[in-house]
Amino acid sequence: MHPALQALFVIVIGVGGCVFYFYASNLFLDKVLYPARGPNAGRNTNRANMIRPWLFLFPAMALLCLYLAYPVFATAWLSILDREGNFVGLGNYTRMFAEPKFVESLQNNILWLIVVPAAATAFGLLAAQLTDRIKWGNFAKSLIFMPMAISFVGASVIFKLIYDSRDANLSQIGLINAVWLKFDGGVGSFLMLRLVPFVLIGCLFLAIVWAGWALLRPLLQGQGGAALVKAGRVLGALVAAFLAYELAIWLFGIVTNELPYGQPQVWLQKRYWNNFFLMAVLVWIQTGFAMVILSAALRGVPEDTIEAATIDGANPFQIFFKIKVPQVMGTIVVVWTTITITVLKVFDIVLAMTNGQWETQVLANYMYDKLFRSLDWGMGSASAMIIMLLVTPILIWNVVNARKEMR
Amino acid sequence: MKTKLLVSAAALALVAGGATAQDLKFPVGEGAFNWDSYTAFDEAFNLDGQSLTIFGPWRGEDQVLVESLLAYYTAASGVTVSYSSSEGYEQQLIIDAEAGSPPDVAVLPQPGLIADLAKRGFVTPLPAETATWLSENYGAGPSWAALGTYPGPDGTPALFAFPYKADVKSLVWYSPDNFEDAGYAVPTTMEELKALTDQIVADGGTPWCIGLGSGGATGWPATDWVEDLMLRTQPPEVYDRWVSNELPFNSPEVVAAIEEFGYFAKNDSYVAGGAAAVSSTDFRDSPKGLFSSPPQCYMHRQASFIPSFFPEGTELGTDADFFYFPAYAEKDLGQPVLGAGTLAFIMKDSPAAQSFMEFLKTPIAHEVWMAQTGFVTPHTGVNLELYGSAALKKQGEILANATTFRFDGSDLMPGAVGAGSFWTAMVDYVGGKSAQEVADAIQASWPK
Repeated sequence: MHPALQALFVIVIGVGGCVFYFYASNLFLDKVLYPARGPNAGRNTNRANMIRPWLFLFPAMALLCLYLAYPVFATAWLSILDREGNFVGLGNYTRMFAEPKFVESLQNNILWLIVVPAAATAFGLLAAQLTDRIKWGNFAKSLIFMPMAISFVGASVIFKLIYDSRDANLSQIGLINAVWLKFDGGVGSFLMLRLVPFVLIGCLFLAIVWAGWALLRPLLQGQGGAALVKAGRVLGALVAAFLAYELAIWLFGIVTNELPYGQPQVWLQKRYWNNFFLMAVLVWIQTGFAMVILSAALRGVPEDTIEAATIDGANPFQIFFKIKVPQVMGTIVVVWTTITITVLKVFDIVLAMTNGQWETQVLANYMYDKLFRSLDWGMGSASAMIIMLLVTPILIWNVVNARKEMR
Repeated sequence: MKTKLLVSAAALALVAGGATAQDLKFPVGEGAFNWDSYTAFDEAFNLDGQSLTIFGPWRGEDQVLVESLLAYYTAASGVTVSYSSSEGYEQQLIIDAEAGSPPDVAVLPQPGLIADLAKRGFVTPLPAETATWLSENYGAGPSWAALGTYPGPDGTPALFAFPYKADVKSLVWYSPDNFEDAGYAVPTTMEELKALTDQIVADGGTPWCIGLGSGGATGWPATDWVEDLMLRTQPPEVYDRWVSNELPFNSPEVVAAIEEFGYFAKNDSYVAGGAAAVSSTDFRDSPKGLFSSPPQCYMHRQASFIPSFFPEGTELGTDADFFYFPAYAEKDLGQPVLGAGTLAFIMKDSPAAQSFMEFLKTPIAHEVWMAQTGFVTPHTGVNLELYGSAALKKQGEILANATTFRFDGSDLMPGAVGAGSFWTAMVDYVGGKSAQEVADAIQASWPK
């Protein structure tokens, strides 16, 4: 049969089948099972109305089970079988955790999870606030939003060109290297590569130390609320301490590094840093998303609270951090968690730019590697299960917050 | 009106497409082709109305070439062929096979992957006499038959795949003009090649262009280097044991071969852009350094397909030429040649699929592609005068003069190594890790 004819068939049968199912099952319920006549007419109507929603939900729920629940169980089952289909229990998991490449993917994923949602949300909030009052704000917003329309692979190709590197005596087509080669170690280089980054990173360092302190302070003063909140505060402070430690190393590096001026750099092969170069792609794409949602939330902040704060003599920073941000906190959390879920799934960017080489492997790409390169369905499924375990709590938190927002 | 116009345009496009597919590149009966084999096949098979899907690695220009060949098969047998390919075709084929919708016939350049598919019951074994046919009609026939023979689902070995289209890998490309200007001679031994490398550095030039970049497959060109050097430092039996992991990857023999590659690639003055540029340069861009002025490098070791990536207008034989990647004079291992090639196998059995495998045995199935470009064959029944260029003929001669022929080792290894950790490890090696370190990592990744 011609494919077009087949498609037509499917459409007719599919749509017709749906209409038939709803019409016929409804008819069956009302006329045969619980007819609204005879001695029990009232009771029958009530019963029919109790069943009706489930009747209408049934096809969707059945399909959800088929497309969502079944694959989860099938994956869980595959993850405890080896290549030959023999039962190995948790063997795949222990093998996986012993593999350096898996540990590397886990570490990189954690790095992605800390940096990308934070950066994208922060930039998005900044862009939303700054473009709110200016005349060409909408134009600026569309420019920032535009990357959302580009596929991950397309964006990766663009950034791959930006990071491109070729021999020093050829002209560079990579933007970053073209700029890099302008630095020669003089005053300009000192300003741009030492002083400015030092001040910026230093500010970030102080901000994170302050945030960590702010989280811990109530605990030290003997308050801090419920046990769960206390645990959250300690966890937050630990993350802040880790970030502060990393940033301190960066600061030390900025001051002491010998920079190879005049040498084009292969950015994507600089271990540790190349992770950040990959993250830049996702931040670039996701900032627009964060900005749009947050800008809508900022518009929803009641004018009178801002007016009251202005009359009380608050400066713009106070208005932003003490009036607006607390009021849009719910939205910030939703945006943050949504981006977090995207980050856990990140695959295309890594595949297109480095394929996990040079220590940039992430979980989703690792899974693909195990499934389709090694043909090891057991280990691939095991890593898929790990990703699911990581995504699920964030997903639940996201849904809870989104529902809170809607109320 | 508008719909009518669109419909007729679409119909016209369909008809036009059909018409070009039917055009035969070389008229039947003309030229030095082996037309007898074509008419014999035409008479033996009459499968009008049947159809066949073929999935292969050839895309772009190669797709045009393979379709020009498939037109002959269609004309002779009456089977409608739809050929398709895709970026990442290996993964695509695995997905299709697992999903239960494989093509009728698939073509892959990785015997290791085909062995895996055969073991899981996705491949239909070929008739037993095909193995005998290969032994008798292919140069170094038994080794080609062995290449397509794997254990089936029940563990008994059988011939599953038919080797078709070979590639010669042990080639070093250079620009004859540049060699002449500098007064260099083509080296015939590895010792001479190393001396020439030093000579070029002493003269202020850069001897080699090496690029390992290949997107998600970055690193594979280095595996060819290591395999070629393995054949030049060890007897072929050691190579076979290495490929099957009877000889562990981190044995001194293999580590020495990796270090031999490092001799060329990890020396800043030997490679264009320095050692750091090796893994970042795309293998498709790398040979262009031969033709820049002044030349960025003088030599480039790469397989027979690389002229597709030479700058436009490069004339093979005059602007660019190649020589055999030489063997050590002192080691007495003969003239080993590293090669590769594609193998066709049946995934959905049908009379049409069987007839296509029969078609691949006919000399004409080789000659049509030979007479165009980019095709070398070990088939001994073909007219060698038909090779489309002197370069192809010379490659055929290298293949013929080889004392040892071995298939690309990384394609024979399990996918996890041959298309995974081996690549990554070579990038790590060029990036600064030691040969022993990366060899240990590859050995650890070998599936047990």
